[in-house]
Amino acid sequence: MDTFILISITGIGLGALYFLVASGLSLIYGLMGVLNFAHGTFMSVGAYMGLWFSTQVVHTTNTWTFIGALIVGGLGGGLFALIVEQLVITRLYERHIDQALVTVGVALVVGAMLGGWFTNDLRLLPTPTWFINIVKVRGAIIPVDRFLYIGVAALLLVVMLAILKFTRIGLIIRAGVENRHMVTALGINVRLAFSAVFFLGGFAAGVGGVLTAAYQNGVSPLTAGTWLIYGFIVVVVGGMGSIGGSALAAMLIGITKQFANYYIPGLGDFVIVFLLAAVLLTKPQGLLGKVSA
Amino acid sequence: MLRWKYSRPLLGIIVALLAVGPLFTFGPLHGPGLQQTLAVAFLYGALALTYDLLFGFTGLLSFGHALFFASGMYLTTIFVNTSHINLFLSSFLAIGITGVLAVLIGSASLRTKGITFAMVTLAFGEAGHVIISRNFGNLTNGENGLPINADRIPQIFIGVVNTKYLYWLALVTLIFVYAAIWWVTESSAGRVFSALRDNETRVAVLGLNPTRFKLVAFVISAVLASGVGVSMVLVSGGSAPRFADAGTTIALLLMVILGGAVTRWGAVLGGIFYSIASTRLQDLSQSTALDSIPKIIKGPLSEPAFTLGLIFIFIVMFAPGGLSGAYYRVRFRYLNRSSK
Repeated sequence: MDTFILISITGIGLGALYFLVASGLSLIYGLMGVLNFAHGTFMSVGAYMGLWFSTQVVHTTNTWTFIGALIVGGLGGGLFALIVEQLVITRLYERHIDQALVTVGVALVVGAMLGGWFTNDLRLLPTPTWFINIVKVRGAIIPVDRFLYIGVAALLLVVMLAILKFTRIGLIIRAGVENRHMVTALGINVRLAFSAVFFLGGFAAGVGGVLTAAYQNGVSPLTAGTWLIYGFIVVVVGGMGSIGGSALAAMLIGITKQFANYYIPGLGDFVIVFLLAAVLLTKPQGLLGKVSA
Repeated sequence: MLRWKYSRPLLGIIVALLAVGPLFTFGPLHGPGLQQTLAVAFLYGALALTYDLLFGFTGLLSFGHALFFASGMYLTTIFVNTSHINLFLSSFLAIGITGVLAVLIGSASLRTKGITFAMVTLAFGEAGHVIISRNFGNLTNGENGLPINADRIPQIFIGVVNTKYLYWLALVTLIFVYAAIWWVTESSAGRVFSALRDNETRVAVLGLNPTRFKLVAFVISAVLASGVGVSMVLVSGGSAPRFADAGTTIALLLMVILGGAVTRWGAVLGGIFYSIASTRLQDLSQSTALDSIPKIIKGPLSEPAFTLGLIFIFIVMFAPGGLSGAYYRVRFRYLNRSSK
């Protein structure tokens, strides 16, 4: 029973990280139809901003500086996403394949810049000492940082849902996901919503970048690609444009992966691709996606 | 009159020059170093062409194409190393198995369209990369790659002196793939592929099954890619996981965009250019010429992806059609002027 709890909670912790990548991807795709290959670099930029804050700006390592690193990483990722959107994406308005291609180029260029400046080696991100503590949940020994990942992801999920539900820009985003042309025809500036979605998605990715750096004990431009691929899988399984779907799919995939890896090490990635194929064959629009979108 | 459209005298001269190049003791093609570089470049040109069939001609943005290339490579290496069948038979088996794999993966992923299809193929390709790099079943030797057993392949492909045979092998592979793609795209099925790219609904209205034709294009390009993989095993001396990762497919995409899609020779040129440029840029970054440049610029310049990525962004945003597109634009402008 304790193994079951351990695997479930670490699985949800992993899923929380997947959600942070996937939520932005899903919103950006749902609203703008852009498959954003640069999303992994938003993570990397956020992670390096967090690293910069926690090693260059402050010199102590406690809970508050880590929270500061999360915020700085999130803002860095969000602002960088905004720059990418303004510089390249808006120029290719409505050319979806070209937009996807140009984000591939951005990912290559920015990845090479980060690699050239900071080398491709893993750089250690300082974390508070309590990160290596463990807690006992009904006999299962669980690393305490997993709860942090879950907490941060849950907080961002609530914030995003609140923004989508209760603000005017959120209303425009939701309407835009449903039918962008109708929103434009009503004289509402959707471009503002595009920028908002890129900032929000970049913010989540930046926070995710700092957390994955803590999870894998360091920052490197090379790791973003793997997380991005999981982000894509989560988005497809959860349904494009649905934040709730992303959250659900991220949990499902995180837990499935941990269980598969527990029984046969290395099997996790394989099982997930089968899960993806199964979802696509039975429900091509994803778990919570709409049929027409 | 119709035949003139298909004759390419310039292309014939270039291919003939490339073919006889290594025979002379003078001239640039004599050294094994350049022969090896060009052999790899030819194979990437051929691989880019198979991707052009998928992406350019049929409009299928796949991110899993490297899987079929790598499966051709790994299956050939495994058969040659572990069983008693010769290289020739091994490569046929490898290509055949890859074809079956392509039918399975293609029919699953072609249930989706557009961007979703891109993501699904990405996931399948990544699964293949994971299988290879994690060394499932002790067949692939994991991250270290799998060298081919030199005793079990024809001796003309072994040794630095014999690099010219690898060069010719690569050139023949390229010509074969070019001819095959030419034949496919000029056939009536090729017309349906292009029609699918331009307007799938109309194809369906005409009574043709879009998914079936897409699957045909998918499988043809996968089988040809695995054939290129067989040659790559000999040229690079074995298989390695880097041939299977998403980066390879993205490189293919770059090659096709760089050279220009749908013109065939554009993709080949893009592949050759990309392959040579990435090795040359790597060499350049290790030279001392860059030492005077401050680190903030030198760092990114030492990564080939930086320069190639910038060129790529430029072409997507400002010069769609790539190299071959630019050529045709200039040529049509010239033709228009002379006809007035």
